[in-house]
Amino acid sequence: MKSKSYFWTLLVGVVFLTTWEVLVRTLGTSELVMPAPSRIADVLWKSLVNGYLWPHIWQTLVEVFWGILLGGLMGCVGGIVLGESKHLRSLLMPYVVLSQVIPKLALAPLFIVWFGFGVLPTVVMTALICFFPLLENTVTSMQQVDPQKLELFKMLRANRWQTLWRLKIPSGMPNILAGFRVALVLAWVGAVVGEFIGSSKGLGALIIAAQGSMDTPLMFAVLVVITFLGISSYWMFQTFERRFLQS
Amino acid sequence: MTPIESKAQHLLRLRNVSFSYLEGVETLQNINLDLAPGEFHCLLGRSGCGKTSLLKLAAGLLSAQQGEVVWNNQPLITPQSDMGFVFQRPTLLEWLDVLDNVLLPIALHRRIEASDLQKAKELLQRMGLAHKFHGKPTELSGGQQSRVAIARALITSPHILFMDEPFASLDAITREELQHDLMGICAEHKTSILFVTHDIGEAVYLGNQVSVMAQGKIHHTLPIDLPQPRQNSMRHSPEFNHFSAKLRHAMEVVA
Repeated sequence: MKSKSYFWTLLVGVVFLTTWEVLVRTLGTSELVMPAPSRIADVLWKSLVNGYLWPHIWQTLVEVFWGILLGGLMGCVGGIVLGESKHLRSLLMPYVVLSQVIPKLALAPLFIVWFGFGVLPTVVMTALICFFPLLENTVTSMQQVDPQKLELFKMLRANRWQTLWRLKIPSGMPNILAGFRVALVLAWVGAVVGEFIGSSKGLGALIIAAQGSMDTPLMFAVLVVITFLGISSYWMFQTFERRFLQS
Repeated sequence: MTPIESKAQHLLRLRNVSFSYLEGVETLQNINLDLAPGEFHCLLGRSGCGKTSLLKLAAGLLSAQQGEVVWNNQPLITPQSDMGFVFQRPTLLEWLDVLDNVLLPIALHRRIEASDLQKAKELLQRMGLAHKFHGKPTELSGGQQSRVAIARALITSPHILFMDEPFASLDAITREELQHDLMGICAEHKTSILFVTHDIGEAVYLGNQVSVMAQGKIHHTLPIDLPQPRQNSMRHSPEFNHFSAKLRHAMEVVA
């Protein structure tokens, strides 16, 4: 049944690409405006084989890794602290929300001024984007613990640390991991957008460079790579999440 | 001093206890209750009459606004190590296996020793769960989960067990099996029990004493003089029916 649904999903993709290819060829659309999928595949293959893409892929991967690690950790720890302290929550939560309303892209030029050009401003941007889903999900998890289980821990004379470590965090883990999953998707957006503005290396910077040299097939090839990396990381995390929660 | 003699000093007393969640609305009014060692005391009443609140007060989970709760001749402020509590739902931790759930009360305070592990296994075996040591709670039926919750409450050999309608959601046969298991284990360890139920038959079968509650008050306490140990056949005896009728009448009068 599952393989049948995969077949139909794949078929939709094949039909879409074939239609695209046929339309571009029959209409004679310029490569500058809309390259054919076969041309994009050709550029993608060549730039992978000749090693042109790899440093950029590596740069973006590094930025996504550090961005999600820093943003995720800060979001998680911040969520635990705010979830545990009603006082801090009412004091700081409005400012946290306020900080998220500001468009991150608008902050990019400021980050270049503060952190220079390169990896750091992009990592900061990515971390900032990853921070909020983790914080929000962790705060919610901390507050949604089964009241009867909290009473059980009180009955068992567990202290605050034990209640947090042995009850609140494990019971909130599905929500926290879902936050990580959302953050992971957003991390790719953060890294690529960060590179648009503040970097000369990485997949985002490569899109801007390709635009400058009017190399539309390369732009599409980079988009394919970003999509592939985004989906792969999402699936990998989802698999890890399932195994972790089942163990 | 033998263990039974040392337990004889443990006694729960509630004196003129009143409690309210909201100001001006008294959930419990002027409650007086004594629990002797080894006694099985049932609190019987309709939903919302304050049974669970009384149970939590007696266990130290809630604090009385008036009156006092005395445990082992000391005012009770917080739950004590020699108390166990079984909630209405099993409240098992889904991320731990059955054995770790049972050992949780010990694991929170000290390192698990071989004797603890042995005791947990014995309790689970007694409860018919020998083949489920490493299963997850989600793989168990409702009755099996309740058994694990009882084993968890008994792992520290408490002097008193507070039970809040633990069998309410189970089918009749599983409920009867669990009642039987519970009575056997508690009689063996001389454990006192304060048991909340809305089921008259359950109260008569389990209790030495049954207190009928309504509108936050204990209106009537009836000693149940049925022979021990209780047998399933007693459920249809004239004496059993007599006590059931008396309790039903008491509940109707105070309703």
